[in-house]
Amino acid sequence: MLRLALRNLFQSRVRLGASAGGVALALLLILALDAVVAGMERQLTAYIDGSGADIIVAQGGVRNMHMAASTMNRSVRSRVRALPGVAAVTPIQYATNMVTVGEHRHLAYIIGLPRDAAMGLPPRIVAGVAVPRRGEAVIDRSVAETAGLRLGDEVKILGMELTVAGLAEGTASLVNSVAFIAKDDFLRARGDGSTVSFLMVRVTPDANPVAVAASIEALAGDVTAQPRASFSAEERKVVKDMSADVLTIMNLVGLLIGLAVMALTIYTATLARRKEYGVLKALGARSGQLYRAVLWQAAVSVMLGLGLAVGATLLLAIALPRLEPNLTLELTGGSLLKVSGAALLIAGVAALLPIRQIVALDPAQVFRGGGR
Amino acid sequence: MSEPLFVAEALTKRYGSGAAEVVAVRDVSLSVAPGEIVLIMGPSGSGKTTLLLMLGALLRPTAGKLWVRSTLVSGLPERKLPDVRLRQFGFVFQDFNLLSALSALENVAVVAELAGIGGGQARKRAAHLLGELGLGARLHFLPEKLSGGEKQRVALARALINDPAVVLADEPTANLDSKIGREIMRLLQRVAREQGRGVVIVSHDQRLKETADRVLWLEDGQFKAMVTMAVDPVCGMAVEREGAPTAEGKDQTYFFCSRGCRDEFLAERLEAVAPR
Repeated sequence: MLRLALRNLFQSRVRLGASAGGVALALLLILALDAVVAGMERQLTAYIDGSGADIIVAQGGVRNMHMAASTMNRSVRSRVRALPGVAAVTPIQYATNMVTVGEHRHLAYIIGLPRDAAMGLPPRIVAGVAVPRRGEAVIDRSVAETAGLRLGDEVKILGMELTVAGLAEGTASLVNSVAFIAKDDFLRARGDGSTVSFLMVRVTPDANPVAVAASIEALAGDVTAQPRASFSAEERKVVKDMSADVLTIMNLVGLLIGLAVMALTIYTATLARRKEYGVLKALGARSGQLYRAVLWQAAVSVMLGLGLAVGATLLLAIALPRLEPNLTLELTGGSLLKVSGAALLIAGVAALLPIRQIVALDPAQVFRGGGR
Repeated sequence: MSEPLFVAEALTKRYGSGAAEVVAVRDVSLSVAPGEIVLIMGPSGSGKTTLLLMLGALLRPTAGKLWVRSTLVSGLPERKLPDVRLRQFGFVFQDFNLLSALSALENVAVVAELAGIGGGQARKRAAHLLGELGLGARLHFLPEKLSGGEKQRVALARALINDPAVVLADEPTANLDSKIGREIMRLLQRVAREQGRGVVIVSHDQRLKETADRVLWLEDGQFKAMVTMAVDPVCGMAVEREGAPTAEGKDQTYFFCSRGCRDEFLAERLEAVAPR
């Protein structure tokens, strides 16, 4: 029956193309959207992931940066530094603001770095300095390219005119970027020198970050300390929660399109072979054997569609960042699993209608010249 | 005579009920012996196809019984009928009904696979059978690349692949020219004579009378008059026994197509026994 299913499928190349292509487009919609979101999540946490910190300490209850504000007394730094297992602490200032160049305004996380910062620096510098001095800023290269900025040009951040002293890479996404200024400039713009936003903590080689984070929370008062991975996960979760409805709707749309395309093509393919299925029934094929042929056809079409969709997503992942540097696509195992599940669901449901046709098929029609 | 392969006893098929009732087949009985070819003829609408469907376990009779190799097929539950069709009957259709996506070999092998024979063994058996039917060079051709006669030979191989007791053929020569039609009939004759299968043919084709051992005339769902065929020993033509000129031999009666053949036969016999 598998041979029959494959031959039936491959005999009509147009039908196969329409079937697999339609499914591929539908699955591509789901996969590409997932890949965009996964890429965006990775970009959003690129700064945190590349910060060099093992633990990030924030105001009590604050578990991420996106759309959050954190304020802690400066004295927390010395209390954390004194804890066993802590090797280094870098306090950073943080605010969500704009990088403004003329008429161009780019949403950004603004990080105020101390001159001696050991952590929380830009993950990759492609030109200039990594740690800005007073009056200087380090911005993402893509923002600079979009705004037509070069090293030494002026940019406005937190209402201050600053000179671009460094260009970072990998700190911009479709949503925002990260800009670095000197702590002193940050405090000049935002006033309060007695507070810090976050503490970047590095632990000693023999210490466990989870245990150290717990002891920070226990001893340093109203703070939330999380290992870097947990902090990143919280950041991603916020983004995911914000885009969950859109994702669900788009996934559903993709699923329904795929289902409709697949159901229609398998239905018409079975309809076209109705007489032949009748012949097989007359010759003694059991209905179950014929269902298997239809299911195989659906499964093979969907798997071809899935393969095409994965290939197209990988191509998009290469091509799109060249057109839009802040857009990266990341194909994840979870997304592949989800889409494979959707593909199987599509195959199963799409085969139901043709199977009903076969059930109703009277093999005697073959002798009456019917069943066509 | 050997025990029949296949016995139909008082088969009846009614459609509808009350005033709308139509009796398509009425009280038809038939038995087919190993090696026997039975031709069922009759006008359109006489119930030939309905009868063939019942004989092939494709349609359940309203009344009557059907035995194949001593199994009461008409008493079997619906779920067991596909297996009976697969193993006890070989079907040959008017318009061949080959699966267009499969090659000649695969068209035959797929029926063996339906019966549970493994792919390799099924293909081997199919290739052998097709070779015997003169299609050894056409194994991998799709049906669209085969002539009508070749398609019908593939269909015949498909009918024989599971070693059935009976071959049921529905107008097997209808879509073929006379030469190819005769060739198909010769093959059906071989299937009956050499392999001992019963062959039941439903047809309008008068030429088939020559090959049949019995010709049955179905009209209004009933057999009207049974015609038994014999071969004229002089010209070799198939003749209906009833009403044919005859001559008595030592142990048998001879039937002739005409008085001319009978006279010729008798004259040759006289000449053979006359002193020289």
